[in-house]
Amino acid sequence: MNIGLYLHIPFCRQKCYYCDFPSYADYEQYYVGYVDALCREIAIQGSLYSRQDVDSVYIGGGTPTVLSNNMLAAIIESIYKNFRLTSAVEFSVEANPGTADYSKLKLLRGMNVNRISFGVQAFQDRLLTAIGRIHRQKHIYESIEWAKRAGFDNINIDLMYGLPGQKIAEWKESLDIFLNRDICHISVYGLKIEEGTVFFQLQQTGQLELPSEENDEAMYEYVNCLLPDAGYRRYEISNYAKAGCECRHNLKYWRYQPYVGIGAAACTFINNERRTNTTDVIKYIEQINHRQSAVEFVERIASDNAMAEYLFLGLRTNEGIDLADFQNRFNEDFMQRYGSIFNKMKKIGLLMQLDNRILLTYQGIKYGNVVFRSFLPN
Amino acid sequence: MNTAHIRNFSIIAHIDHGKSTLADRLLEYTGTLSAREMEEQVLDQMDLERERGITIKAQAVRLEYTAKNGEKYMLNLIDTPGHVDFTYEVSRSLAACEGALLVIDAAQGIEAQTLANVYMALEHDLEIIPVINKIDLPSADPDKVKREVEDVIGIDASEAILVSAKSGLGIEDVLEAIVQKIPPPQGTAETPLRALIFDSHFDSYKGVIAYVRVVDGIITPGMKIKMMATNKTFEVTEIGVFRPVMTNVDMLGPGQVGFLAASIKNVKDTRVGDTITGADYPAEQPLPGYRKITPMVYCGLYPVESSEYDTLRDALEKLKLNDAALVFEPETSVALGFGFRCGFLGLLHMDVIQERLEREYNLTLITTAPNVIYQVYKTDGQVLEIDNPSKLPQPTEIDHIEEPYVKATVIVPTDYVGAVMELSQEKRGEFKDMTYLDSTRVMLVYHLPLSEIIYDYFDRLKSSTRGYASLDYELRGYEQSKLVKLDILLNGDPVDALSAIVHQDKATYRGRQLAEKLRGIIPRQMFEIPIQAAIGNKIIARETVRAMRKDVLAKCYGGDISRKRKLLEKQKEGKKRMKQVGSVEIPQEAFMAILKMD
Repeated sequence: MNIGLYLHIPFCRQKCYYCDFPSYADYEQYYVGYVDALCREIAIQGSLYSRQDVDSVYIGGGTPTVLSNNMLAAIIESIYKNFRLTSAVEFSVEANPGTADYSKLKLLRGMNVNRISFGVQAFQDRLLTAIGRIHRQKHIYESIEWAKRAGFDNINIDLMYGLPGQKIAEWKESLDIFLNRDICHISVYGLKIEEGTVFFQLQQTGQLELPSEENDEAMYEYVNCLLPDAGYRRYEISNYAKAGCECRHNLKYWRYQPYVGIGAAACTFINNERRTNTTDVIKYIEQINHRQSAVEFVERIASDNAMAEYLFLGLRTNEGIDLADFQNRFNEDFMQRYGSIFNKMKKIGLLMQLDNRILLTYQGIKYGNVVFRSFLPN
Repeated sequence: MNTAHIRNFSIIAHIDHGKSTLADRLLEYTGTLSAREMEEQVLDQMDLERERGITIKAQAVRLEYTAKNGEKYMLNLIDTPGHVDFTYEVSRSLAACEGALLVIDAAQGIEAQTLANVYMALEHDLEIIPVINKIDLPSADPDKVKREVEDVIGIDASEAILVSAKSGLGIEDVLEAIVQKIPPPQGTAETPLRALIFDSHFDSYKGVIAYVRVVDGIITPGMKIKMMATNKTFEVTEIGVFRPVMTNVDMLGPGQVGFLAASIKNVKDTRVGDTITGADYPAEQPLPGYRKITPMVYCGLYPVESSEYDTLRDALEKLKLNDAALVFEPETSVALGFGFRCGFLGLLHMDVIQERLEREYNLTLITTAPNVIYQVYKTDGQVLEIDNPSKLPQPTEIDHIEEPYVKATVIVPTDYVGAVMELSQEKRGEFKDMTYLDSTRVMLVYHLPLSEIIYDYFDRLKSSTRGYASLDYELRGYEQSKLVKLDILLNGDPVDALSAIVHQDKATYRGRQLAEKLRGIIPRQMFEIPIQAAIGNKIIARETVRAMRKDVLAKCYGGDISRKRKLLEKQKEGKKRMKQVGSVEIPQEAFMAILKMD
């Protein structure tokens, strides 16, 4: 089977107030060393997977576009040099408005990067400031414009709802702006307050004012009605795309397919094993430079957990679970093992069966965790 | 050995006043255990006891001591449980002794629990040796404690021994006082055997090990014995003493303390307080004071997973082998399914059993709120004993209800007298007496319904007196009360396991509080859950658990999958303690909510 390739760039200009991802601000001094180490790891991993075809590459972060043009070029070159990419490869790079100028986007496109994903989050300067983004509305327009001019036709933007102080009208406005920009893919996330973030601190001290649950739900419902009507299919819980523009790389995660992760905090999933590199950038650079593995955490996934993961990932997509595929993979009959759980979830209206597939209902998507939890081993 | 060289004694002390430490020092000083063998607090064997710092089962240990007069003495230390739940066991342990060390914290003074046990010891004509412990504390005031002992208990404290069990100071003086002041046991070897059972435990190889104090006659291996309360006979297979390790001996004679095994299969046959006599030449009269233990507090125990029912039954049976006070019988709850109604001596006993079931047998349990036994006089003349609120008959069938009352003794600094009176009044207490122990401390006596003590009397007593109050109580008997059944409905359906019997005047208030409390405890689910409190057909309170609007992980990519799975696992783990009742998931603490209200 073809594999996906993920490269992590753990740097940002500024840490957003909601972000608990492995990414660091004020790390400019490590950029050169990190890119070196990354290219080194690309070479090592490339030699391990030399027989495998790669049909998706995703450079994510952090903000990959904080790196200079030369650095980005070096990384991409070493990917081409060390991995066997299929001709139809989907090659995505994450970019944040305010860090990706025309020359950078042009360079990426010139190196056959064919998908660009912008962390837009909101179109209102007030909200952008409130969540700690460095960009303003005008930067978003510029970025999208430049991306298109550079030749990108597969563009994603991320938007968030449930932001502090966000009004329903602002949410509608953001979605309107999106629809007017002719962009084929959008990821929509509800804000979740994670431990260790600025927002978490504010919430603990009672200084964070979030929209009411009713309004949060209204924003959720609004987007789920609006986008499908506008021709964007909700192919995953938080992802919508025009036909053919679904992100192939991300689908690999949800389809429980193999991928190789390179860089600090990156994760490799192959042969029922998940290996995660250290999240510590300095340690990562040192270990790679000393020709040591940067893997810090290995999990051999036991079959009951593997089945649960397969199910809760697969159910996130609009394809759901293919019962024959389940049987093939795990050599077990889904209904035999999970029949009573399935029936219970069906009875309360969260799961349904369509031919040979198990899917979340509309209500089931909303209460996905109830379903996901039910498949975990006791 | 001549009885003149035997001394049997116990130690009376309030929790934390240093009983276990003193016992350790006595063992160490007499060389019963070398310091290297000493585990701290050897007498408290169960882990739970050690964790909670209390003694649950009595233990007995033999010390050999060569006194200053050059004579060798055999000292038997009989440890007593230190909690109000086990008053009867305490009385039996004391009955096995001729004297007691009264250990009082030099800084704290006498507490209610100590007092109750001292009175009990005096009733048994025990020689009391006051021991003032922790004299090395900066706040120690031994003179004040001496005065208190004299004023309150009325015994001479001029020769009270000053010790620091922690540092070992004064330990020899204690041993000398035991030898000189405590009278040797009476009794002769020639009369028919009479031995008092003061404790027992179950050993999977030897059967029940009965802890005995021989009063008259002798026990030898091979002898046929009879339990005078049950008339059952056994053949003694082994006898011995605790040093503190069980050590076999050939004979136990008058005044001696030790153990016997006789292939006894069930602790029910070795009832604490019963008299063992010879089957061939039985004594005419048993030793005085035996009574059958009756549970005071009942609750339902249900496995969260109904598949664990059999494991729970087996576990209860095993615990019962070692605990004659535990009673249980199967019961069924509409809400909770199959479980057991269990009777306990008190709340601590209940907690301990529940914790042992979960810890030692790896069970996850739902415990319903404990309740007392009500005597229900029906209009048709029938009298029912109700140990489960949901079994209370319809109001129209009830003539009146009686509930158990206790005599509660509270010792408290004078500053808090008002607070204690207010609380006791609120708890339907009837004031009986007030005595000044000295210029700073007061003893209050109230008659209170036992159910109020179970509710939250003790916790609130502690909090309203900043921890200074100490409490003891004893059962007085049954009195008539105006009681009604409070029901809780979730989603419109009554949940039998949440029903409670409460006083009429407080029913509305309690119902409202309980509904409000439950709203905070029952987690939000996919749908709205109305909570109603009802008395008869009348709804007296309503609360709503709002529906959860969304519950789904928004993001789930590559490296995050292990983390997200763990997050879901954690959530699932949290739900394990919940019981699905109808379509509602109820956490375990909901069933105890009625106890935790202010």
